Amino acid sequence: MGDYFKHNPDTQGMFGEYGGSFIPPDLQEEMNRITDAYYSISKSHQFISELRNIRKHFQGRPTPVYFAKTLSDECGGRIYLKREDLNHTGAHKLNHCMGEALLAKYMGKKKLIAETGAGQHGVALATAAAYFGLECEIHMGEVDIAKEHPNVVRMEILGAKVVPVTHGLKTLKEAVDSAFEAYLKDPITAIYCIGSVVGPHPFPMMVRDFQRVVGIEARDQFYEMTGELPDNLVACVGGGSNAMGLFSGFIDDKDVSIYGVEPLGKSFKPGEHAATMTYGTPGMIHGFKCYTLQDEKGEPAPVYSIASGLDYPGVGPEHSMLKDLGRVNYVTADDEECLDAFFQLSKKEGIIPALESAHAVAFAMKLAKEKPRQSILVNLSGRGDKDIDFVVENYGIR
Amino acid sequence: MAEKNIIMTHLVAGYPDLEESRRAALAMVAGGASYLEVQFPFSDPIADGPLIQGACTDALNSGFSTDKGFDFLSSLTAETDVPVFLMTYANLLMAPGVEVFVGRAAKSGASGLIIPDLPYDYDEGLYKAGEMADIPVVPVVIPGIDEERLKAILAMKPPYIYTAVRKGITGARTTIEEETVRFLDRLSRSGAKVLAGFGIREKEQVDLLSRHVHGSVVGSALVEIIGRCAGENRDCSGDVKAFVESLLKP
Repeated sequence: MGDYFKHNPDTQGMFGEYGGSFIPPDLQEEMNRITDAYYSISKSHQFISELRNIRKHFQGRPTPVYFAKTLSDECGGRIYLKREDLNHTGAHKLNHCMGEALLAKYMGKKKLIAETGAGQHGVALATAAAYFGLECEIHMGEVDIAKEHPNVVRMEILGAKVVPVTHGLKTLKEAVDSAFEAYLKDPITAIYCIGSVVGPHPFPMMVRDFQRVVGIEARDQFYEMTGELPDNLVACVGGGSNAMGLFSGFIDDKDVSIYGVEPLGKSFKPGEHAATMTYGTPGMIHGFKCYTLQDEKGEPAPVYSIASGLDYPGVGPEHSMLKDLGRVNYVTADDEECLDAFFQLSKKEGIIPALESAHAVAFAMKLAKEKPRQSILVNLSGRGDKDIDFVVENYGIR
Repeated sequence: MAEKNIIMTHLVAGYPDLEESRRAALAMVAGGASYLEVQFPFSDPIADGPLIQGACTDALNSGFSTDKGFDFLSSLTAETDVPVFLMTYANLLMAPGVEVFVGRAAKSGASGLIIPDLPYDYDEGLYKAGEMADIPVVPVVIPGIDEERLKAILAMKPPYIYTAVRKGITGARTTIEEETVRFLDRLSRSGAKVLAGFGIREKEQVDLLSRHVHGSVVGSALVEIIGRCAGENRDCSGDVKAFVESLLKP
């Protein structure tokens, strides 16, 4: 895998047989422009040094790697956390949003357009827009707007315009369509900023590249702390941006076992989980090929997870390839395990994790019991402040 | 270009239900449509606006399936002489396998396939399957498409090309930008029958386009009529036929 990043994706945007750009021609023209701009701009010295500066002074990077001693003593093994919850805005999402917005600035764009489900990506992008003095338009389903009120307020305080999406199920999928439509109406002044390592080429590559900072930092930090590389990596996978960030720092380290944790929700029954690679089959969604939860006719299936950031019937194409290659093991954690991890990490370490990240912690705790002599590096992708009301109202304090 | 205006009318199979969409299709033909474009609903139609998306969702909720879609297509092609094109999205082809799906489309009597999210350079074997089953695949293009891609598409010598005319063609003062006209003329010169669509709902638009392309595609306007009739719980045949006639009257 020595030249891994040179060949993945290939020039067509394919990760093995996944990814690509299966979209109507008007969208394709815009994607080609973004691809060209990405290659010509983002590799320049000026771009890189500006992004580095932003990461250090605005985002507060590098985020630390922290040895979770109490949790480790409890479970066995040695559990380390890469603290993306300490990244500005409280999650890893800002890593690619600042990159996307900087690219937009260099391209002379005036406006950032995106969709958001739970509002995490929307808040991060609104933050990036405020930083660069760009307009920001976030499309969000009406159902999500009602559910995620604090994030809507955050976006508005940051100066973004939140556009309610009123058709269909009024959730993430419709928000994606609505954002694409708004973008196509104004492709000259606006740019579309996707929220994960998904969508048509170049987004899965671009978002991964901007998230690689997580893995690169973590590898150095872990080595400095312990004098060796971790035995295991663990990250949660919805679309897969935080996982790709961490994993990409270690892809070539064959002795490092890698685990991506999918949400098993209430059960393995269709409609009660969002474990795309565990139960899905190769298909196509939102313009790219990937493992998809779908019925036998090819319709995307309904999905569920306690963590709204993991609630997606597709997954990044690179994850789909890494599954087939066997480089990454994709496993699951259900709602109960997630909640248990949420409270354990809060009570034992003083860190309230996002429900998304709690899936990774849950699996790490299991793994630690199985492999008491090994080290486990978890990507703690976000903090849980956004989830506290929901958890307490629905499940009480444990 | 043509003596009589030619239009392709669009409908979502199974919207509001299969019986009503059959009536709508036959009314379109009775009104003078030269081609039918039957869309198999998919829950995430990336190239469609909210109106058609909504129709697709309703059709799926009322129990549409690919199997029923092919039955619908077979009976429709048996009932009318007008060529029927099948439009849908990639994932519905990939689930059974592209070849299998294309074979079934051919067997159902479809005269062409329009799959907007399987462009020629990411086609998953669609064009080859179309050739083998002897059913033309209709490439979808737009004005302003990258020159290299357009050349590659024209080099395939497709019998039909579908083009979106998104910009510059609006209701009351119907004009088409010079650049778009040049583009449409160039497509037509390739020898392909060019079908132009997106937002066409008035006779003036059809008249104007007819000077530059083979035919106009009328979609949302009809979906709206069918939806309105469904809302009022009445047969849409009369309204649909009258609307199609209004676009074609001399």
